[in-house]
Amino acid sequence: MVKVYSMTSCPWCVKAKKYLDSKGIEYQNLNIEEDEAARIACQQLSGDLMVPVITANDKDYVLGFDKEKIDALLGIAG
Amino acid sequence: MEKERRKRDVVIIGAGMAGLTAALYAGRSGLSVLVLESELVGGQIANAAGIENYPGFLSVGGSELISTVQNQAEKFGAVVNEFDAIVRVDLSAQPKIVETESAVYEAGAVILATGMKRRKLSLTEAARYEGRGIHYCELCDGQAYQGKKVAVIGGGNAAVDAAEYLSKLAAKLYLIQRSELRADAASVNRLRGHGNVEILLHTEPRALSGDKRLTAVTIFDRKAETAKELPLDAIFVNIGVEPNTALFADQVKTDKAGNIIAGEDCRTNLDGVFAAGDIRTKEVRQLTTAAADGTTAALGAVKYLRSLN
Repeated sequence: MVKVYSMTSCPWCVKAKKYLDSKGIEYQNLNIEEDEAARIACQQLSGDLMVPVITANDKDYVLGFDKEKIDALLGIAG
Repeated sequence: MEKERRKRDVVIIGAGMAGLTAALYAGRSGLSVLVLESELVGGQIANAAGIENYPGFLSVGGSELISTVQNQAEKFGAVVNEFDAIVRVDLSAQPKIVETESAVYEAGAVILATGMKRRKLSLTEAARYEGRGIHYCELCDGQAYQGKKVAVIGGGNAAVDAAEYLSKLAAKLYLIQRSELRADAASVNRLRGHGNVEILLHTEPRALSGDKRLTAVTIFDRKAETAKELPLDAIFVNIGVEPNTALFADQVKTDKAGNIIAGEDCRTNLDGVFAAGDIRTKEVRQLTTAAADGTTAALGAVKYLRSLN
C-alpha cells in the first residue's frame, strides 16, 4: 500500500494526493500533525518532518512533489 | 507518436486568482476553457494561512479561498489541469498553440496569468542547504523545526505572515529584513505579540554555515556595519517575487522587470493574447486586483473571439 505522509494545510501535500488520485492509485494518508505514530514513522523514514513524503515499501521514498520521481517510485507510465 | 490535437476557445496559463477568475467568467460566457498550472493551484496564496483583505471574508485560508474559486470555474465547465506541463507555446499563430507533455492545444485566445514566483536567496552556498535548512514553503517544512531556532528573511506581508505561522512552532523566531518592514500594520502588530519573536531590521544574511545541514548564518547590520554569527536551524526565504514568464518572454512585450506590458484592458502586443494578474505591468498587485484582471481578460477574450466570427 502506498503511504503519503502529509499535513492538513500543506499545499504540496494536497497536490501530491490529487496526482495519485488522478492516476487511480490508492494510498493511505498519514497526517503527521494528528497521528503521533505517523509522525515518528515519517521521521524514521526520511530523517526529517518535511512533507509530503511518499513511499510504497517503507524504505524508498520521495520527499516533496516531484512528478518524475513519484512516477519512477510507483511505476507510473508517463 | 504524434500528440493529439485538441481545440479550446480559451487556454489560460496559470491557476492563481487571476487565471481562475478568468476561467469562471469565460466558462460562464459559454466558452470551452482549459486552465494549465505547473506549480500550485492558487499560486502565491496557496501558502497563505489567513487572508483578511479579500472582501466577503473576515479571514480565510488561501487554499480554501482558491479551491472555492476553482469549484466556481469548474461548475461552468472550465477544466483545470495541474499535471500536464507546457513544453511550448506559439502565441502569434491563429489559432494559438499551447503544447503540453500530452497534447497540442489550439486556442482561439490565450490568457497569461502565470503570476510571480518566489525569489531565491542569492547567496552562492544557498543551493547546498536547500531542504536542509533553506526552505521556501513554511506550511510544508515548518513542522520539522518545532522547538528550534528559525529565521524568516523578508519584510513584506508574505514574510510577516510566514513568521507568525512559524513563531507558533519555533522556540525562537527571527525576522530579518534588509530595510524597513513593508507589511501592513495589522500583521506586524500580531507578529510582535509573540514573545519568542525578534525583528532584526537593516540586517541581511551574508554567509551560511553548517556541515550537512544549516547550523548558523552570518548576518550583517547595515547601519552599524557589523557582522555576527547567528546560530539557526532554518531560514524560510520570503524576499519577494519575480515574474514567471520563461515560457513566453520572447513572444510578448515585457518591461525591464519582466512584467508583460498590458493596460487596464489586459491586452498584450499580440492579438488574442491577454495578461492578467501580477504578471501584468501595474501599480497595485493584490488578490482583488488579480480577480479584477481575470474578469477583464476573460471578457476581452470573449469579445476577441466574437470578432473572429
